[in-house]
Amino acid sequence: MKNRKFILPIALSLLLIILSIFHLVIGELSFNFTTFYNSIFNYNASNSTELIIHEFRIPRLLIALIAGSGLAVSGMLMQTLFNNPLAGPYVLGINTGSSLFVACSLMTGIPFFTNDFGIISSALIGAFIFGLIIIGFSTFVRSHISLLLIGLMLGSFTSSIISMLQTNSAAEELKSFTMWTMGSLQQVEFKQLPLIVIVFMIGMLLSVFLIKPLNTLVLGVKASSMLGLNIKMIRFTSIGVTAVLTGLITAFCGPIAFVGLAVPNITRLLFKTQSHGILLVGNSLIGACFLVGSDLLIELVEPYFHLPINVFTSFIGAPIVIYILIKRLK
Amino acid sequence: MIHLKNCTIGHTNPLFSLDEIQLLKGEIYALIGSNGAGKSTFFATITQQIKLLNGSITIDQQPLKKFSKNSLAKQIAFVESTSDLPDFLTVREYLALGRTPFTNTFGRLTAGDIEQINKIVQVLDLAPYLSKFMLNLSDGERQIMAIGRALVQDTPLIILDEPTAFLDYGNRKKIIQLLKYLAKKENKCILFSSHDIELCLDEVQQLLYIDFEEKKLISTGNITKELLIQKAFPLY
Repeated sequence: MKNRKFILPIALSLLLIILSIFHLVIGELSFNFTTFYNSIFNYNASNSTELIIHEFRIPRLLIALIAGSGLAVSGMLMQTLFNNPLAGPYVLGINTGSSLFVACSLMTGIPFFTNDFGIISSALIGAFIFGLIIIGFSTFVRSHISLLLIGLMLGSFTSSIISMLQTNSAAEELKSFTMWTMGSLQQVEFKQLPLIVIVFMIGMLLSVFLIKPLNTLVLGVKASSMLGLNIKMIRFTSIGVTAVLTGLITAFCGPIAFVGLAVPNITRLLFKTQSHGILLVGNSLIGACFLVGSDLLIELVEPYFHLPINVFTSFIGAPIVIYILIKRLK
Repeated sequence: MIHLKNCTIGHTNPLFSLDEIQLLKGEIYALIGSNGAGKSTFFATITQQIKLLNGSITIDQQPLKKFSKNSLAKQIAFVESTSDLPDFLTVREYLALGRTPFTNTFGRLTAGDIEQINKIVQVLDLAPYLSKFMLNLSDGERQIMAIGRALVQDTPLIILDEPTAFLDYGNRKKIIQLLKYLAKKENKCILFSSHDIELCLDEVQQLLYIDFEEKKLISTGNITKELLIQKAFPLY
């Protein structure tokens, strides 16, 4: 039991490093370490190798790492908050909240709303509002399945609003939004990375403060309240952190399905614990491995056919969800 | 320990009232009442989940209202009748959650916390269970772990909502006897609700029952089974 909690994180870290290195070097371009170093700290755009590393490889790897761990941690937060192993930002419709708000702000065409900061803000606000809506429902919908169905319906409903907006918007905005909804790890530029990393770090740091409440919440809302927790505050913070992480990732990669749902379940299966400190580390590592691994596979098959990340994660994630359904809910 | 005077209990509409009841350390009290009589509402009132409609409740002479959520969790431990537990929650983790009101922001267990957990593990003889998962335990074992968690919380008052509800006769008797033993040995004030009239009359000296006609909570040390049934359980 004890060994599991020490050896697993080390093994996963090693796996993550190996996957990341492969992710960086695979492709037609070959380069040495000096070129790699230069492309970060001594960047010269006229050198085409440095340009490719700087503008494509590094952003793509970094965003895969961030999206993987961020979505997995959001999923863990939602699953414990709702006491439901099938919860996740995507199933609960929190992603679509981001999508709706990003769609609205992109289609206004006002520069303030269409720059990076504007998009992150609207994605974040959208995620937060939809998180609150789901919490509102959860206070009087007791059944796990009903809550998920409400989340899915909320998602469909919002998607239809987005479609309405799309069909009635000008070609230029339509294009930028459609590109965005495809879900991709390849649209991030190097100069956007600092903002992304900072917002991500804020989200992860805040989630550290949720470890104790989450540990207690596995006993249920009533028991946690009797142990002295302020439930309202915890719900608010959890949704806030989820909104920051999911909103950020949705803003830059578009909706990525199932990572937030499948990874927390895999993590619990592997670590066999409900200590959220351990689960937080586990989810970050496994989430990152999962997405970097998936993207590596996509890179490998890229010469033969194009595979969007969202399609691939659904392909892997949906069977896992069915497995959990059969096992848990009988 | 806890002193209730001229209270009216209910969510928004009064369910029942009481004149004066005092619960002491080292004693065990059984609360008897029909379904819907207000047992859970009574517990919710004492634990400040809902407001007291009228009257006064004090814990060690301190008005209940003055306790913050966290400081109340150091006075009263509550054991629910059922709870939805997740996969992979180990007994060790479960017991440690009893320390929640005492730990820092990050929930780190101090040496003192661990000592308290180990002490309860010894009192209840839980060592063989520590690495097991809560979900793999029987109902009776799970109830003992829940009592263990309440003891780890180290509060003078322990309230249990129908601790024997899902157990067979042997386990019911075992749990009640364990609670009796703990009240004496650990000097706790223990209050539990039950439908189990015979067992409570046999094992517990102090009974509280909700008189359905007068809508009153009454404390008694001496009542016959026939009278108790007549007073507490409406036969339609």
